[in-house]
Amino acid sequence: MFPVEHFLFLAALLFSVGLLIIITKRNTIMVLLGIELLLNASNLNLVAFNQLWPASVDGQMFVLFVIIVAVCEAAVGLAIVLQVYQYYQTSVTDSISELKE
Amino acid sequence: MQSNITYSTFFEICLLLSVALPLASFIVSFAISEKYSWAVSITAPLLLLVSALSSSVVFFSLHDDQPFSIAWNWFVISGHPLTAGLLLNNLSATMLLVVTFISFLIHFYSIGYMAGDSSIRKYFAMLGLFTFSMLMIVLADNLLLLFVGWELVGFSSYMLIGHWKEKPAAARAAKKAFILNRIGDAGFLVGLMLLWTHQGSFALNQIGLTDAMAAWQTAASLCIFCGVVGKSAQFPLLTWLPDAMEGPTPVSALIHAATMVAAGVYLVIRTFALFTPIALDVVAVVGIITALIGAFAALGQYDIKKILAYSTISQLGLMVTALGAGASDAAFLHLFTHAFFKACLFLAAGAVIHALHHAQLQAHAHFDVQDVRNLGGLRKKLPVVFIVFILSGSSLAGLPFFSGFLSKDAILTALISWAGADFSWQWLVVGGAFTVTFLTVLYTFKMIWYIFFGSEKKTSELSISAPPAVMQVPLFTLALASLWIMVSWNPFVHTRWMNPAMEHSWSVTLFSIVWVIMALATAYFSREKSFYADVLFNAFYVDRLTDWMTKKIGLKVPAITITLDKKWIDGFIHATAYVQVLIAHVTGWIDRAFVDGTVNGMASFVRGVGSVTRTFQNGKIQLYIFWSIFTIIIFLIWTLL
Amino acid sequence: MTLTSFMFYFFEIVAALSAVALALSRNVFYGALLLIVCLLALAGIYVLAFAEFIAVTQILIYAGGILVVIIFGIMLTTKISEKPLAVEHTYLLSGILAAGGCFGLLIYVLSKEYFLTTGVQQLPSSPVNGIQTIGVSMFSKYVLPFEVAGILLLISLVGASVVASTIKSKKE
Repeated sequence: MFPVEHFLFLAALLFSVGLLIIITKRNTIMVLLGIELLLNASNLNLVAFNQLWPASVDGQMFVLFVIIVAVCEAAVGLAIVLQVYQYYQTSVTDSISELKE
Repeated sequence: MQSNITYSTFFEICLLLSVALPLASFIVSFAISEKYSWAVSITAPLLLLVSALSSSVVFFSLHDDQPFSIAWNWFVISGHPLTAGLLLNNLSATMLLVVTFISFLIHFYSIGYMAGDSSIRKYFAMLGLFTFSMLMIVLADNLLLLFVGWELVGFSSYMLIGHWKEKPAAARAAKKAFILNRIGDAGFLVGLMLLWTHQGSFALNQIGLTDAMAAWQTAASLCIFCGVVGKSAQFPLLTWLPDAMEGPTPVSALIHAATMVAAGVYLVIRTFALFTPIALDVVAVVGIITALIGAFAALGQYDIKKILAYSTISQLGLMVTALGAGASDAAFLHLFTHAFFKACLFLAAGAVIHALHHAQLQAHAHFDVQDVRNLGGLRKKLPVVFIVFILSGSSLAGLPFFSGFLSKDAILTALISWAGADFSWQWLVVGGAFTVTFLTVLYTFKMIWYIFFGSEKKTSELSISAPPAVMQVPLFTLALASLWIMVSWNPFVHTRWMNPAMEHSWSVTLFSIVWVIMALATAYFSREKSFYADVLFNAFYVDRLTDWMTKKIGLKVPAITITLDKKWIDGFIHATAYVQVLIAHVTGWIDRAFVDGTVNGMASFVRGVGSVTRTFQNGKIQLYIFWSIFTIIIFLIWTLL
Repeated sequence: MTLTSFMFYFFEIVAALSAVALALSRNVFYGALLLIVCLLALAGIYVLAFAEFIAVTQILIYAGGILVVIIFGIMLTTKISEKPLAVEHTYLLSGILAAGGCFGLLIYVLSKEYFLTTGVQQLPSSPVNGIQTIGVSMFSKYVLPFEVAGILLLISLVGASVVASTIKSKKE
């Protein structure tokens, strides 16, 4: 069994990179990719800690549900992205600031 | 609510009806719209008829029985509860009957007299209010409530005298009546205050319970008498009454007979226990002066209504003299009989004026129909009015077989017994009273002569029609009421079925019969002579006296007070004003610098914060995320480190 | 260093590098491919962490499902907007600040904490047993979330198709 810290360091890195991507990328699809990274970082944590209680599979079950939710999110998110594209003719998140009004 | 239970509910309802219906008439008359103003001349007399009928029920069930009183709590002032209530005894019940009865007859008469008047609603409404407020005076069981009615009478008489407000003389007369009444009322109010301070109660049945003839009692009674002087047109506040003739004639009849001038005499009778001997002497002197002035002035007048007005003043003077002599019974008897025959005289005079006025309008002739010199020989053209005028005039003059004779006799008897056997100044009063009765016969029959006998002057070519039935019925009713039957069965003894306790002496009766016959003879022989004199015409210049009083004194006092005002009070006010302005400036500066500064500072701070936070709310999702992450990180650092 | 530990650190490095490369990437399409690499590396790590079923799911769903959808999205959007796949960066400073702060904080916390190096319980005897355990608990302990997840999938499927289908109706 590998030290839990190593998993956790990688998860922390993935999480931070995901955040960076979400904030800095101007393309909505790239933002979606960043969100997938965030989810995977949390998944990694769950799996890592599940190692300490191998008899139960609670952590792994959580990972499964997270994946399911990620699927849903990706599907709906991409549908919305397509729709927004159709409407604004852009995939630049900055231009979509209707929320302000 | 406390009331003695000896009287039935029916009695109470009748009492309520008789008081409330005039008020209802007032309200209904205003409630009826302008379009249906003709309806007022039906509703108002009808309501008054019911009122008169129910008051007669009240009168007959109460007469010679124990007094009835009913009271409600009105308000409490500094621990003293004040009640408002009704107090009915023989006196007030009689007065109630007289007021409602005469008021009803005058309402009835007004249907004919005021037909076609443009503001008939206001007229009948004010008649209703007038009657109601008089009833308030009559029935009130305490002086405060009475005072309210007193003022209401003043107000409604003001409205009625100035009914034809487009006539400047009417407006002026209304104003004069109002102002002179106010002068008297000021005295009345002071009297009320005196009474309150010394007795702590306004209740009529507690007045004079303290038998100490204190100085305050004299002062209070004289102050109340001041109000009487104003309301009952006594010397020196008598000049408003002749001027009040500018109002419609039925109103004059109402004022003279039942509602207004009678209130003064009635008030003195009601508060008689308060009057001390000194006060009574003052009352007697004022009364006899008034009576003499009125009688002499009546001789010098040519206007029918003015003659009647001065005769009222003189008769009121007689009543007040009787009051001063302590004979309140006699005074009230005269008030009672006077109400009927004077109302009748006024209505008859009104009928003459009305008939002539209409004839004038048809013939397009123009002369003063109220001037007796223009009239004459009307007995053929207006026989009905002639008969009525003779009957009521005889009563006024005090001829035997008329009510006036009996009441006048009562007064004279009382005066003689008051004066005593020895000669004193009181005999001057008695002499004055006899002079007044003599003069009364004189002016009454001269007036009748002028109007109805002799040859027709300016009226000869006019075709005069008799007054309508609605006017004749009240005339005849009142004329019958001026017969001796009203007072007693015996035409020479005034100890009537109403008040058997009064003294009576046959010598006085005989003497007054002789006296009246002498006066009649004088009147007959001097029928062509005119007693005109400037002094008489102007009623001894009492008008100028009041004018002088009001102008000289009335203007001097304000002038003094004005200088006082300017120098001291204004100076003080200015000083305080300067101080206030100074304080205001200082506080204003503090306001601007600190209070406003704080507020403005907070506002700009908030604006700054707002503009800073506004930059976050720019609709950029990624910045939102950044800020939320940033916040979470800061929060975590804060908690973990 | 055994083979398994080599594999572990290899996968870790691959995942980390591909993630960093994803952050630096200026092309959406490359970004998607780098994400696939990252996810596959993670699947490898899952295998080494005794979560074989998760690893398989990861490969199947992420690499096989989500990424395909994303690539479809990329192709569709670029087709519509006729724009290059290049992606610009904005708020670089704030992004670095937030991400760096987050990373520093996590590293600081993790390095301060002490973690167990061995499992609290005995290891399962075989991997098959693990998959069996998952299957059993999925249909016993987690049956309600499982069903709810199924409903969620259905709803999102319908919702996504509805949202996306309006494009066509608008085009007409």
